[in-house]
Amino acid sequence: MAAFGYWRGVALVAAVFLAILLFVPAWFDLFEVLQMTQYVVLAIYALSLAYIWGFGGIISFGQAGFFGLGGYAFAVISINMGETTVPFLLTIALCFAFAAVLGYFMFYGRLSDVYLGVVTLVVALIMWKLISHTAGPEYAIGKARLGGFNGIPSIPIMQVPFTDREMDPGEMFQYFMGLLIFVYLLLHVLIRSKFGRIAISIRENEVRTGLLGYDIRRYKLMVFSIGGALGGASGAMWATYQTFIDPNAFSLEMSAKCLIWVMAGGVGTLVGPIVGVVALQYLSLKLGETAFMNNLVILGIVLVLLVLLMPRGIVPTLHDWLRKALALARQPSRRGAP
Amino acid sequence: MNAASGSILATSSLTMRFGGVVAVDNVDFSLAPGELRCLIGPNGAGKSTFFKCLTGQLRPSSGSILFDGEEIGGRHTHEIVARGIGIKTQVPNLFEGLSAYENVSLAASRRNRADRAAEIAGEMLELMQIPEIAGEAVGTLAHGQRQLVELAMVLAGRPRLVLLDEPAAGMAGEERARLAGVVRSLAGDNTLIVVEHDMDFIKDIASTVTVFHRGRIFIEGHVEEIMAHSEVQEIYLGKETNAAA
Ligand SMILES: Nc1ncnc2c1ncn2[C@@H]1O[C@H](COP(=O)(O)OP(=O)(O)OP(=O)(O)O)[C@@H](O)[C@H]1O
Ligand SMILES: [Mg+2]
Repeated sequence: MAAFGYWRGVALVAAVFLAILLFVPAWFDLFEVLQMTQYVVLAIYALSLAYIWGFGGIISFGQAGFFGLGGYAFAVISINMGETTVPFLLTIALCFAFAAVLGYFMFYGRLSDVYLGVVTLVVALIMWKLISHTAGPEYAIGKARLGGFNGIPSIPIMQVPFTDREMDPGEMFQYFMGLLIFVYLLLHVLIRSKFGRIAISIRENEVRTGLLGYDIRRYKLMVFSIGGALGGASGAMWATYQTFIDPNAFSLEMSAKCLIWVMAGGVGTLVGPIVGVVALQYLSLKLGETAFMNNLVILGIVLVLLVLLMPRGIVPTLHDWLRKALALARQPSRRGAP
Repeated sequence: MNAASGSILATSSLTMRFGGVVAVDNVDFSLAPGELRCLIGPNGAGKSTFFKCLTGQLRPSSGSILFDGEEIGGRHTHEIVARGIGIKTQVPNLFEGLSAYENVSLAASRRNRADRAAEIAGEMLELMQIPEIAGEAVGTLAHGQRQLVELAMVLAGRPRLVLLDEPAAGMAGEERARLAGVVRSLAGDNTLIVVEHDMDFIKDIASTVTVFHRGRIFIEGHVEEIMAHSEVQEIYLGKETNAAA
């Protein structure tokens, strides 16, 4: 029964996403479609953290490490191969492997949770530093010059898989939206599987989960690696969407934004962080248009208000309000009974 | 007969130091299969630390732990648990947000498929005589009921050696008697070590008692004999009446 309600909710969200996928390119103009494509890419990026944090209890302060790695890996591989399908898959595999290696040292080295967050942050910053120092022509991988602070231009536009036809903006939006739906459903299946329930129980009580005989390190490593692969995928999508990538993909700001989207939307949900991305990105876009006040200041105020008024995040709070409203609406009929 | 031969658990010179504090000090402890042993001792005697060494929550500073003839000292918790040791910790360790039933079925699902795990969870809650709270979130239960849920979780993993660290804490008369009944019924098929402060509870369940004092085994013997022992009264019972006063 509970499971039925759960999947009904997931199906509803997926159906809404599907409607967006089908109708947006026809109903909106080019600029808006491009804008929404950006939200979709960043939503997958936010999900990479939402999953490991909300459903594995792993907080990463440096999720941009995977985002940037994905962007650069895709840039280098696709420029060299001259197509996008295989490079996209290779990038995801590479980021999974990178997360697995990093995670192995963190989880098997019995690093405590706080240090774990710091290590991810430091790794992202080191990558940012390294990639920023690749300006000279000697820093090239095959045909791709890394370009230091200037980044890598002319990254191939995503092609229709297994063909060499470039997607137009509407198609790219639909392709990415399809990937978002796929990731959203995949994560729900993972979360509801035995593996997922044990990962959640580690978040709830690590000691007890260990004492039940589950190897905590293995579960955390797997969750973290999946998060790394998703972060990398979003970075690759970002690179092809912009046809450009620069060291800012690794930046502290990029890591912090991800934390903020997930926190604002609600840790422990998957829709929440997606809503968080759209709401906050839209807000900064609108604030950017007005020269009224520094938009970072306003964004900061909005965040403080959000934390004060909705400490659990937008989606869980709205969910609560809706339930209370429904309960209130039902009450008059109950009053008839003694 | 050698103390270690034929025993399911045998520690030798087991030592756990925290900086200058020697919490467990050269302990040689052995237990026959099917035995029910009580472990008593004043606060800070090292009982919980001893348990943590046995379950791999702490890596012993030195000494060895043989479980079923196999060295488990310093192994990872999950490996030790997989070999058949289960523990109810002193501080309750439950999944607060989940229901009693979900807690126990999660414990059972390590070794079983989902449908069998569900069955076991039902059986265990039945055994604890708490099937009526199966659907309730553990975080909302009274302390005594939480203890019973945790015991059900431990038993759902079908351990051969069951460690219970103050299982009767927070329990009232009837619940306490029920717990004593469950513990007695487990002995024989299972081997148990029970840490308790309450002497009536101990008399209810056990024959042999080991007294810990300052990290060492102070004395071992029959419960009546131990309770009559003047030095034990001094270090342990005396302290407890002081604490109660
Ligand atoms: N992680 C730790 N770090 C430092 N000292 C510790 C640690 N754990 C326990 N100790 C110390 O080891 C000694 C034994 O503690 P332990 O908890 O094993 O006693 P106990 O017999 O279980 O007591 P109680 O009856 O109060 O539960 C105490 O002096 C305690 O302060
Ligand atoms: Mg203790």
